[in-house]
Amino acid sequence: MAQDEMNGLQRVAAALTFGKPDRVPGAPLVCGASHRFSGLSYGEWSQCTDVDAMVQGHVDALDFIGHDGVVMLVDLTVEAHAFGCEVKFPEMNTAHPNYDDPFLKSYKDYKKIQRIDPRKTQRMKGVIELTAGLSKQIGGTHAIVGFVYGSIGVLSMMRGPEAFFMDLLEHPAEVMEAVEVVDEVLIEYAKAQLEAGAHAICYDHLYASQSILSKELWEKVEGNSVKRVTDVVHKAGALVAFHNCGNGIYFDMSEKWGKPHAISHAYVADDVDSWEEHKAKWGGKIGTIGWIPPGPVAMLGTPEEIEEECKAEIEIFAPGAGFVLSTGCEFPPNAPLRNAKRIVEAAKKYGVYK
Amino acid sequence: MATKEKEQELIKRLQDAIINYKVADAKKIAEEAVAAGADAYTVTMEGLAGGMEVVSEKFDSHEYFVPETLLCAKALYAALDVLKPHIKLQAGGVARGQVVLGVMQGDVHDLGKNIIKAIFEASGWTVHDLGRDVPLKRFVEEQLKTDSDIVMLSAMMTTSMVGIKKLIPMIKEKNPKVKIMIGGAPITEKTVEEYGADITADNAPNALKEAMKMLETLRKGKAA
Repeated sequence: MAQDEMNGLQRVAAALTFGKPDRVPGAPLVCGASHRFSGLSYGEWSQCTDVDAMVQGHVDALDFIGHDGVVMLVDLTVEAHAFGCEVKFPEMNTAHPNYDDPFLKSYKDYKKIQRIDPRKTQRMKGVIELTAGLSKQIGGTHAIVGFVYGSIGVLSMMRGPEAFFMDLLEHPAEVMEAVEVVDEVLIEYAKAQLEAGAHAICYDHLYASQSILSKELWEKVEGNSVKRVTDVVHKAGALVAFHNCGNGIYFDMSEKWGKPHAISHAYVADDVDSWEEHKAKWGGKIGTIGWIPPGPVAMLGTPEEIEEECKAEIEIFAPGAGFVLSTGCEFPPNAPLRNAKRIVEAAKKYGVYK
Repeated sequence: MATKEKEQELIKRLQDAIINYKVADAKKIAEEAVAAGADAYTVTMEGLAGGMEVVSEKFDSHEYFVPETLLCAKALYAALDVLKPHIKLQAGGVARGQVVLGVMQGDVHDLGKNIIKAIFEASGWTVHDLGRDVPLKRFVEEQLKTDSDIVMLSAMMTTSMVGIKKLIPMIKEKNPKVKIMIGGAPITEKTVEEYGADITADNAPNALKEAMKMLETLRKGKAA
């Protein structure tokens, strides 16, 4: 195994700007799983009340796993919670809204969404402080990627996805009014994470895929939100990434509205049929962060299966850079942590650029 | 008693209302069908199920996505609520199967489960929907109580997926013949194999196709 010549930050930056990294970065999305190094339960971790312990959890996870960067995802309810949505925090499970009593009970309730200051509000404040704490400790050596759940994702948390999706067709004006308010908050949130030391912002546009919305509807409801948030990030000189673990992702729309450096994804774009085709069509324009299947491989895979999967992905995606070896979605918070380490080791073993 | 022509006209209008997700129209046409004395079973199977079959095809071919499909299901239920009390299984008719359906404990993502429910009900299946965040033993109890042919388990997170491994032996221990279908984002063929399930499906229309095949196998087994 060759000796690393770059640190994680340099490596990720070089990879995502199609420069010359020493090797493929290894960065499974170890987010909630870091709670296991923090002394906090998953529920306590998600509540962001002990930011110092969270910082230490991430730092210790980095020591053990050796990944090149961390993403500031806590869970997808952070933003909705700050707007007033009731959130449940199971002790050993991912936080979720109380869908039995949604914050937005009718389409008429979109009006009640008020602009909030993310720097002062609940867990958004916690994430900003987490970013700042990590920036102090690892900001010079590892990539710190801020995280923003997209506007319509946030609204679906507040309304409940099913009702929200129907509102998109039945009450679009009310939804779009709320999108405008959420956008303003997300812009400030992204700015605050950058000011706290994030090197990049990852915008989760989960619904920009064939799994959920048509391309036309997605563009209509979230295209402009993506532009508004990513414009701020581009202007700050930081990297822009998207996350989308849906099937058949709209890479063309992502490019049009956000000009991302990379997309963290689990499946290929909607306009190709294989990973090889994906690399040929999109690999030179938008980097790929992915795409190890979290359940069957990162969680249930044998050491041999993990290594084989990583090797195969590196063979397709490493040429020409623009690739970070990672899981296609968050590394399962309950998966064996040594599997995350195996992913990084595979990047070191098979991903060295000659 | 509606004439055959009138019944066919109502069925066609009902199909159109479902396919074009016209919720109020679907309810109105169903009421009209009942008032005209049309056979509720025929109207349901040909109008609602026929309409949802087209919706399934549109979903499969990416012409319809989740919002459109949900609204079609809303139209379906608006009509079904009206027709259901008037349905009598026709003499000699063969009932479709029964399924127990639910989202695993610790998981509240029920969107996929709800689409499955609509498509199965439209096709004449009896669906025992346990909802979301369902304790494991509830699946076992409901299967035994209803003698359902298939248990369908949904999990959208790895943290809830692991419960399936524990649950399948609990169900099979009580009823070894029951078929288990599992689905959701983290589920793959590998999970099916590793957890001892019978099958997975990547979307609702495929789930229905697989369920029909399993039901056929089960019934052949019973007949043999």
